[in-house]
Amino acid sequence: MRVLVVEDHAALAGQLVAALAEAGFVADHAADGEEGHFLGDTEPYDAVVLDLGLPRLDGASVLRRWRAAGRDMPVLILTARDGWSEKVAGLNAGADDYLTKPFAMPELVARIQALVRRAHGRSRPEIALGRLLVDTAGQRVTLDGQAVRLTGLEYRLLSYLALRAGQVVSKTELTEHLYAQDFDRDSNTLEVMVGRLRRKLGDGAIETLRGQGYRLVAPS
Amino acid sequence: MRPPRSLALRLGLAAGLWVAAGLGAASWFVTGIALRQVEAAFDARHEGLLDAAVAATALDAAGRIVVARAPAGADFERPFSGAYWQVTASDGAVATSRSLWDQALAPASAGHAGVLLRDTPGPRGERLRLAERDVMLPGAAAPAHVAVALSRGATEAEIARLRTVLLAAFAVLGIGLVGGVVATVVAGLAPLRRIRRALAEVRAGTRERLALDAPSELAPLVSEVDALIAGNRATVERARTHVGNLAHALKTPLAVLRNALEGGAPDVAAARAQAAALERLVHHHLARARTAARVAASAAPTVAPLAVAEEVASALRRLLGERGIVIAVAGDAAARLRVDPQDLTEMLGNLMENACKWARRRVEVSVAMADGVVVIGVGDDGPGLAAEQREAALRRGTRLDEAIPGTGLGLAIVADLAEIHGGVLELGPSAAGGLAATLRLPVLARGADG
Repeated sequence: MRVLVVEDHAALAGQLVAALAEAGFVADHAADGEEGHFLGDTEPYDAVVLDLGLPRLDGASVLRRWRAAGRDMPVLILTARDGWSEKVAGLNAGADDYLTKPFAMPELVARIQALVRRAHGRSRPEIALGRLLVDTAGQRVTLDGQAVRLTGLEYRLLSYLALRAGQVVSKTELTEHLYAQDFDRDSNTLEVMVGRLRRKLGDGAIETLRGQGYRLVAPS
Repeated sequence: MRPPRSLALRLGLAAGLWVAAGLGAASWFVTGIALRQVEAAFDARHEGLLDAAVAATALDAAGRIVVARAPAGADFERPFSGAYWQVTASDGAVATSRSLWDQALAPASAGHAGVLLRDTPGPRGERLRLAERDVMLPGAAAPAHVAVALSRGATEAEIARLRTVLLAAFAVLGIGLVGGVVATVVAGLAPLRRIRRALAEVRAGTRERLALDAPSELAPLVSEVDALIAGNRATVERARTHVGNLAHALKTPLAVLRNALEGGAPDVAAARAQAAALERLVHHHLARARTAARVAASAAPTVAPLAVAEEVASALRRLLGERGIVIAVAGDAAARLRVDPQDLTEMLGNLMENACKWARRRVEVSVAMADGVVVIGVGDDGPGLAAEQREAALRRGTRLDEAIPGTGLGLAIVADLAEIHGGVLELGPSAAGGLAATLRLPVLARGADG
């Protein structure tokens, strides 16, 4: 899951990126509206945290431009002002949720997780696939009720496949959503990781469709 | 063309134009009458001379014309003096004054009745006024023609003199009138200059307020400015009170927070609770301060409550999309309120979000206007509140200095805002069994005194 953080306050942006990373997201950071707009316009993010008060281009304008260009990723806006006018303006500009500063970091992470789930048509944080259970809120994976120990990257891969369970996900899409913008992407790494996941979850869970990608199904 | 910026200049120019036009017309009229009078006076004297000439004329026994006594005046004796007479008998015999010498006047063709007056050139080309008539002399078979001519020079000199005098008189009158208008305007604007000086003193701080004894046209302006000054002063006073209240309200949680953090084992849970209380306090006071300043500072624009409700509803629908709650907004689209749009959004946002929080399936928002009051209803089909709970929800936050914001902060803020705008928030049961919040706001919100 990749999240874009558009926030000009450096300390807050650092906390946001760290908290999101801890929750299993890969977060990119933009410090002003123009950079944020460019990144959101060109990279396939699963969610965006957008501050409304930004230098160079304000958050509401960034959001309107994305929506006008058909970019429909879920967006959570941050406002320093707690008035309803700003909330209404932000939501009607195309935001999906809002948080007022100051906010508690776990609250923001939970909202982002909920937005991502909602975007994939899921309302509950747990995704059950037969014996396999992926808890996207607690970042826990169990097989037959037994906890499965996964690395951060393995969990990111599994949870993305779980959100798209039953659908074919291409390797390109996977790499785009699993690594940060400036990461050196290598499909071999992905294959190695899929292999490791298969060993931990049992052979039937991740199907390979030649030339198309991977699909997560209920393990036999 | 743009009018000049100076009021005095503007009024002076306008008065000057009017005076010039009026005096021009009057002088044309008066001069016309005077000149006709002069001409008539000359003509009357002229006819008198003609009558004298006629009376002096007679026929002798042989039927020749004899002018027994020539008309008085040396002018008729002096050659080419400009005063002439001439009698022409029916048989063509002519008798003339000495002044005519060897010349003759050209009489009009015979046959006209009464006296004929006309201008004609004289023997030396001078302009003459000629009076002539036919006369039946005793003993004559046919009428004789008598003519008396006088030079126009004297008349024209008189007319020219009269014209000059009249023109000068009217010019003096016009200049006097314009001067009077300018003086009046300058004097009339004096109260404005006084007000300006007083305002400058107020700004400089050497004067409390205008409090001027202004003329009745300016008195409303003076009292409005004084009201504005008083309003601003009240706002500052309120802000000072508000800061005091806020500081007092913050003291208690701060003290508890300090106690929780001091000592060997800090009580993290208590500290967290106090931090939350502090945050709520700040939120509450910010909302109130923002509104109070806005209400006092300016005349709010008119807003359509229905449009604002729809905006809020569309935002809430985005927010609550997956909960499947229907937000129905209906009512009087023509209703208008003089309230800051941000405040109305704040009130409707809090009411409607609260309704959505408790609703099972449906939230109804209605807007109606009657007797200068806009009534906005927000009802839900949730569990509702008991009567005493409703009272508690409204009581909270009304006394700013003692308020302890709790869970019902949203409703308390709405009640505060409604009060600041001269309105009221009422809670009651809704038709669907939930809570119905009714916001009554006067169409013209209270001004600076609120």
